[in-house]
Amino acid sequence: MPMCVLNLQRSYKYMMYATKQPSLRINQADLKCKNGCGFYGNADWNGYCSKCYRDHLGFEKQKKQGQAQLEKQKSNAFTKFEEKKKHQSDKKSKFLPLFRKPSNLKELEKPHRNSDLKHSNPDADKLMAEFMLTFGQLSESLRHDFFKYIQVFIKRIQTDINMNKPIEDVTEVAQKYYNTFNNGLNTSSTFKDLPSDVRDQLLDFFEKYVMTILFSSLFCPNSTNDEEKDLIIQERIRKLSWVNAHHLDCCISETSIEVRDLVYTAITDLLGMDSVKAPLDKLNCVVKCCRSVMEVLQHCQGGPASADEFLPALIFVVLKANPARLKSNILYVTRFCNDSRLMQGEAGYYFTNLCCAVSFIENLTAKSLNMAEEEFDAYMSGQITCVSAWESALVACEGMHQLRENLNILKDLSQRTTIVQEGSKMLREDIEKFKNELNETVSVVMERTPLVIKPRKSPISLNPHHEQSGGATDVSLRKHDFDQSEPENLNFYHQNLEIGHLNDYTKENLQLDITPCTLIAENASTISVEPTPEDHSHNSFGLSKINYDIDFSDFSGENSMVEDLTPERISLNVTPDPFGPLGTSSAIFQEPLVPLNTSLNVQEKTDSAKSKQQYVLPLVEKLETTLLDEDETDIQNLPSPMKPMSSYSGFSKQGLQIPSIPCNTGDISYLNAHSNASTSSKDDS
Amino acid sequence: MNSSRNSSSDSYNFKVVLLGEGCVGKTSLVLRYVEDKFNNNHISTIQASFLNKKLNVYGKRINLAIWDTAGQERFHALGPIYYRSSNGAVLVYDITDEDSFQKVKSWVKELRRMLGTEICLVIVGNKTDLEKDRHVTFEDAELYSNNVGAVYFETSAKLNQGVEDMFLKLTEKMMEAHEQKVAKSASLGRQNSQRANVLVVEDDQVEQPTRQCCGSS
Repeated sequence: MPMCVLNLQRSYKYMMYATKQPSLRINQADLKCKNGCGFYGNADWNGYCSKCYRDHLGFEKQKKQGQAQLEKQKSNAFTKFEEKKKHQSDKKSKFLPLFRKPSNLKELEKPHRNSDLKHSNPDADKLMAEFMLTFGQLSESLRHDFFKYIQVFIKRIQTDINMNKPIEDVTEVAQKYYNTFNNGLNTSSTFKDLPSDVRDQLLDFFEKYVMTILFSSLFCPNSTNDEEKDLIIQERIRKLSWVNAHHLDCCISETSIEVRDLVYTAITDLLGMDSVKAPLDKLNCVVKCCRSVMEVLQHCQGGPASADEFLPALIFVVLKANPARLKSNILYVTRFCNDSRLMQGEAGYYFTNLCCAVSFIENLTAKSLNMAEEEFDAYMSGQITCVSAWESALVACEGMHQLRENLNILKDLSQRTTIVQEGSKMLREDIEKFKNELNETVSVVMERTPLVIKPRKSPISLNPHHEQSGGATDVSLRKHDFDQSEPENLNFYHQNLEIGHLNDYTKENLQLDITPCTLIAENASTISVEPTPEDHSHNSFGLSKINYDIDFSDFSGENSMVEDLTPERISLNVTPDPFGPLGTSSAIFQEPLVPLNTSLNVQEKTDSAKSKQQYVLPLVEKLETTLLDEDETDIQNLPSPMKPMSSYSGFSKQGLQIPSIPCNTGDISYLNAHSNASTSSKDDS
Repeated sequence: MNSSRNSSSDSYNFKVVLLGEGCVGKTSLVLRYVEDKFNNNHISTIQASFLNKKLNVYGKRINLAIWDTAGQERFHALGPIYYRSSNGAVLVYDITDEDSFQKVKSWVKELRRMLGTEICLVIVGNKTDLEKDRHVTFEDAELYSNNVGAVYFETSAKLNQGVEDMFLKLTEKMMEAHEQKVAKSASLGRQNSQRANVLVVEDDQVEQPTRQCCGSS
């Protein structure tokens, strides 16, 4: 029995060193007190024995006090005002040590905590509310007794802390008091009649209450080197970041998404341990974490997990979590959690396992990972920076994520491409349809055109039969009678006849017959050369975009070889134009002509045409090939039209003057005749 | 110690650790005992590392907390953390594996060194269903067990042979040990009674409240 109690009371101390005991290879001398007094030392006491450690602490305390005084003296060297202030604050500090310089922190904080307790404490308030909720129905005297126990406990612990007792003594006092309270619960008249579960609850709440109140002075106390230990273990875990589940013979499959989620849950639970205050709550965090680990294991292997699998998995989780203040938390729980709870029950078991995991991590060697010494050293020194499976899985997950994202993008792109392709197909069909429609309308118009012209002729010419003979001069003479004001019109009928002749020709040679278009183009061309914007208004029927085609037609028009050229010209320049951007291709071979003409307008338009080209590349290519074949003939003809160019501009001016262009009539035939007239007039000049 | 906290006089809490090499059947053994199942597929608990078993022996309510331990050699050094303050230890070996028996021997040595006779030991030769492959004879094992003050059992978790008996015997032994402890501490208590009021913090003093509690039990 005494042995057992001893083990319990010294639980953690024992626990942490017991791991080394089975393989005791430490020299006896190493275990002795550093002072050489002959007694055994303890790492918790900086290698001193208990007596020497106390002396050592006292010495340190004195040293710090001395330092504080020195600092005070220093500050006295300030100006009088400051000195005065200082004195005042010194006076104050007698009552509120909080305001003293933080040089001797240890002594400062304790009284501060005292006052802190007496004043309202949010934690205490919360606990009070919890207490009233759970035990509100209990009798007044019982509650009074309960808080009397609490007050006594807090006072005792605080006096102990203020006396700067080593934490081990405080622990013993606390554990003893837990037992006292437990006995009180079982024996005192006020509590005896309570059902056992309520008594257990009261015991738990007692512990929770006092520990939450005293947390700041008992957690990671100044008298210990807990903080250093925290840093050591943290550094150690960081160094061991390369350890993966495989090294630990742990069946956690790091790449499975569900498993990863569960592992993350476990890690979060473990990290939560640092954020709660009562040892009981901390213990609950450990239990939650371990349950998550159990779930992970069940997920990975199926069936209940035994300790053989559980411990490696827990070690893995601790390594990956690297919880803050791990050692402080463990020590705090071992010191101030009711020992009996720590020794039994599920919580005790899991906490023990956590201690085992930490102990294993601290004493981890190459052998414990079944690894060659050199390899282990290389890992530890960072020579081998192998990406552990955990990280690589992270990367893999990242990669998978990216892959999925990229696939989505690709899918989206392919969808959009099909849409575009469909659109282009539809556009092509539309174009084809439009082309056909236009051809049809054109052919209809063509059929109609001679008919339209004839009635036009008839009112003018007195002898329709005369016309039939085709005497150009006769017609022009008659025309002269009709309209003398416009000399260009002299050749109107002559031209008309030509066109009519031409139309016949095209009908014979080309399926595609767009005579009216050509004519429009011709008209437009004359205007395009002109710089004044008014001319464009004349062309308001909207076909002005075909302007650049016209140079050709014009040359050919004034050319003596007009009739020979027209067939090619029509198919070449005009066909594509009205159908929108397709016609832009014609601009390609027009470019060389433009500079001679030096009309900026045309150049600009070709530019815009070029830009248009970019959008209809596939179609343009097709057209270009067909056009290029015909192109040769045009190019051959080019030199001849070159010369008349200069004189041409003059004619265009004349064309401007033509007021009778019935732009908005929509009757192309009329326009036809008119533009032809302009070209013919050019010939005249 | 664990039992001491319990207020009612006829109930005990005992902590039992399972020690032994990996793959000797520690988990199967405890699962057979607590759940009476062998095949892992039918077991309802998600973990077999910590199990509670409630018993009624001689009219006393007994709660066994059975702690499974990691058997791998690399975790051997962690043993003390597991078995501290436990009332009993079940040392399991595989009768077809001589090495696992040697491992048990080393555990016994360690336990005796660390805990003395405080802990009740049971040595279990598991997997008797594999009799034909036996490498450790019954006689050897029993002789050794008697020499170290342990009880020897042979079990088969698969066939459910001897498992219940083994745990029952262990429980009886633990109760016996506990009674002795109580008696001893009671006499100690009488010796130290005059010191009970002194507030000097000594190891004996620490026991004081515990003793009172034990006395009540």
